[in-house]
Amino acid sequence: MEIKRKFKVVGAALLAAGVAAGALTGCSSSGTSSSGGSSAAKGSYTFWDPYPQYDATSAWAKVIDTCAASAGVTIKRSGYDTSGLTNKALLAGQQSNSPDILLVDNPVVSTLASAGILTTTDQNKLVVGDVATNILSAGVIDSKTYGVPIGSNTLALYYNPTILKAAGVDIASITDWASLTAALQKVTASGHKGITFSAIGTEEGSFQFLPWFWGAGADLTQLDSTKAESALQLWTDWVKKGYAPNSVINNTQTTSWQEFQTGDFAFSENGTWQKADAAKMGDLVVPLPAATGGSAPAPTGGEFLTIPVQKDTSRYEASSKIVTCLSSTENIVKTDNTLNYISVGKEAQAAQLAADPTLKPWVDAVQVAKARTGDNLGTKYPKISEQLWTAVQKALSGSASPADALKAAQAAVK
Amino acid sequence: MRKRPWWKTVVGVVLTAVMLFPVYWMINVSLTPSGNMRKSPPNLIPIGATLEGYRTVLDQQLPFLGTSLIIGIGTVLLTLLLAAPAAYSLAKLRPRGGSGLSFVLLIAQMIPAIIMAMGFYAIYLSLGLLNSVPGLILADSTIAVPFGVLIFTAFMSGIPDELIQAAKIDGASVWRTFISIVLPVSRNSIVTVSLFAFLWSWSDFIFATTLDGGGDFQPITLGIYRYIGNNNQEWNAIMATAVVASIPAAVLLVVAQRYVAAGITAGAVKD
Amino acid sequence: MTAQLRVSARRMRRRGNWTAWAFIAPVVIYLLVFYAYPLARNVELSVRDYTVRSFIDGSARFVGFANYRAVFANPTFGPALLNTGLFVGVSILFQFSIGLALAVFFVRHFPLSGTLRALFLVPWLLPLLVSGSVWSWMLNSDSGIVNSFLRAVGIGQINWLTSPQWSLTAVLIANIWIGIPFNLVILYSGLQGIPLEVYEAASIDGANGWQKFVQITFPLLRPVSAITILLGLVYTLKVFDLIWIMTRGGPADSSTTFAIWSYRLGFGSLLPDFSPAAAVGNLLIFVALIFGLIYIRTQSRLDPA
Repeated sequence: MEIKRKFKVVGAALLAAGVAAGALTGCSSSGTSSSGGSSAAKGSYTFWDPYPQYDATSAWAKVIDTCAASAGVTIKRSGYDTSGLTNKALLAGQQSNSPDILLVDNPVVSTLASAGILTTTDQNKLVVGDVATNILSAGVIDSKTYGVPIGSNTLALYYNPTILKAAGVDIASITDWASLTAALQKVTASGHKGITFSAIGTEEGSFQFLPWFWGAGADLTQLDSTKAESALQLWTDWVKKGYAPNSVINNTQTTSWQEFQTGDFAFSENGTWQKADAAKMGDLVVPLPAATGGSAPAPTGGEFLTIPVQKDTSRYEASSKIVTCLSSTENIVKTDNTLNYISVGKEAQAAQLAADPTLKPWVDAVQVAKARTGDNLGTKYPKISEQLWTAVQKALSGSASPADALKAAQAAVK
Repeated sequence: MRKRPWWKTVVGVVLTAVMLFPVYWMINVSLTPSGNMRKSPPNLIPIGATLEGYRTVLDQQLPFLGTSLIIGIGTVLLTLLLAAPAAYSLAKLRPRGGSGLSFVLLIAQMIPAIIMAMGFYAIYLSLGLLNSVPGLILADSTIAVPFGVLIFTAFMSGIPDELIQAAKIDGASVWRTFISIVLPVSRNSIVTVSLFAFLWSWSDFIFATTLDGGGDFQPITLGIYRYIGNNNQEWNAIMATAVVASIPAAVLLVVAQRYVAAGITAGAVKD
Repeated sequence: MTAQLRVSARRMRRRGNWTAWAFIAPVVIYLLVFYAYPLARNVELSVRDYTVRSFIDGSARFVGFANYRAVFANPTFGPALLNTGLFVGVSILFQFSIGLALAVFFVRHFPLSGTLRALFLVPWLLPLLVSGSVWSWMLNSDSGIVNSFLRAVGIGQINWLTSPQWSLTAVLIANIWIGIPFNLVILYSGLQGIPLEVYEAASIDGANGWQKFVQITFPLLRPVSAITILLGLVYTLKVFDLIWIMTRGGPADSSTTFAIWSYRLGFGSLLPDFSPAAAVGNLLIFVALIFGLIYIRTQSRLDPA
């Protein structure tokens, strides 16, 4: 043990100096076993996902194992938290140590694709079946497809019927921003609290702001338009008038949901993943209203199954098989029910809906949802999004007016 | 002997209570059912306490605790082994270029851990140390070794030269002097450095996630991350893990503190 | 020292240079392996124009100091500099004085002192993710315990984490809390090194507690104090997890320090910007380097070898 360690330390010293790196592997190979795909044993495939909460005994892990078995290989799965996964994928890609299959959040796909880490469907021979184009578009860059969505979720407006009733608000009357604001006023006047959402300074903040931004008719290529300003003004006024708590500026979506769970709030902008919790509490859901009526397009959430570049291209075959198996209608319905996702294909959606009719508002919402990196924004999106959440933070905290905050944002994007 | 100052105990208890209030709050959250978590105003005591979080933790987290313990102890040993001799040399043998080394050690501490972790990843990948406990011990020790050398140097400079000269005249070799004179006298600083080395490795997250994210044996900080999903965080389980994780380490701390106190009463330091 | 001893000391120093380096060698090798490479890598990142693409295939263009110039010209630079200065200065001031006061308080034994002192270290056991979250929990504008206490005593709501005026204060409070155990432990061990007889002699001379502190404790504690402050400085400059969890440097850069800025550039958005992130990181190392030099200068003046 001691000797082996010395060997390794000396080896590392030489490596750091950049000397004879090739010869080294010879002396230190005794303990070599790698996490990544390229150097793993032939029949063993690696799989990374952002679900650290599911362990080896979970239904999710079992679906993966079954699919791997049908492709004739075994899977070593590792779960990372979402933000860690992107960094880790880049780092592994740099060292040619990518996993065989990588499940990543959809707006990250364009970043990883532009880094050259992911294979296209031409390279990996994956057949993308019945997937709605509005959802697939996050994985399509310059008409090349880099992966398939495992499922989709989006945002909608949860409400607490007891509070609305007490305040004398009819949910059917809420059709646009003006009627929603009026409802918030009524609710707060009746001694309850208005609405919770997340305006935190991360991607979550942009995700939650986009339905209002798009609902005003604004466009991500023009952050300082008057339409964009009206959306930010709406949020700012809510916070200023006390319709939304001040803590939204720092709340994650989980925190904002916990506030809603106290039962004091009338509304909460939150995602599909809370639907089971909401049902338990007797809360209901409607689409988020657009500025002048109708439903606002909400951004799509959810992950993509991708196949990272490997030195040994023969590995793509089994990887594709596993991905195809995981995204087959039967499996995807099972998985999407576990993960609280809405399926992305017509057939699978119908199967999900048949099993659970209460999913109707969510299926509708997903069908009109928009990919954040869509509109051919691709890797421009992350920069725009960062400026967008910065502007939201500035306006809500009162350090700049909505107009000024958005002007600064637009200037910084250019 | 003067009379025992009981008033100091009272003041001490009050101060400790203030200091530990956030820790109490963590325990409070760990017991709170999720519906009450963001209640305004919050409950001072966990009304309707749920042991849900703890049940989950005890089911899943014990192996992580064991791994953290092994990594912590390994880090302490490695740190002492590397840092103490070097510090003795810097403090008492004073080689040419020694102050240059102290300076380099200082700089070394300033490199943000995330940058270190990225460098390690490449080195570890070539050496096959990824996802291994020894690999994590090595990485965690990088926080503690420069610190250890600096602290040991600061303390060992305080050892009277006469003590070392006397051993020299008795014919003891430099190594012998170090082992039988310097080390016993430095007991306080050894405990101090060990304590910090242990605590740092215990709470390290960046190295763990970068270098051991796919390992079979993972430390407790990664265990906590299991409750942070893509869209949802199970706060009572997170806090419950933190509470459970603090217990063994807190016991260790109390024991270590006794040991420092014993070292003083024995009068080992200055004679 | 007798003449004979002095001669043997000189001889030992000449002969001892090799022995001395033999003691140091493991650490030197260790430093080369584990620090030289990451540091070199960071410098390299900062003088090239890395995109995610060139990060993977290593084809980044050499741009010299362009990244540094861009960093200096960035509107975040001014606030980040000011916040870093405030954050470090105020943190150290409070951590050190509270730590020293507690060390002095605990150094004379009283019933339970050992246990209470150990309990003071418990904050350190908590992973930063947890302590950061607990603090943001307690300082939450609407449902936080701190505000509900303030409301009870009639002060009203303070938006600790969500207003530009308070966010830096909020992260400072949490950081001071986390830093106290470190200062307490080191200063406490330093105090133990001061022989009791010195105090007893001073007592006989009629010195009161404060005089003893100013004339004995403080001067004798100087080397340990210097290293404590220096290390505190280095660690505080690096703090990012805590601020990141509590405010993410916001709102509107009001709690952004260099460490946060570097992290935000590198990992804060979906598209990492490695080169400017590395440049900011190197600036941080450079600032710390200056303080290190000051420390070495003071040391050699205090302790002419």
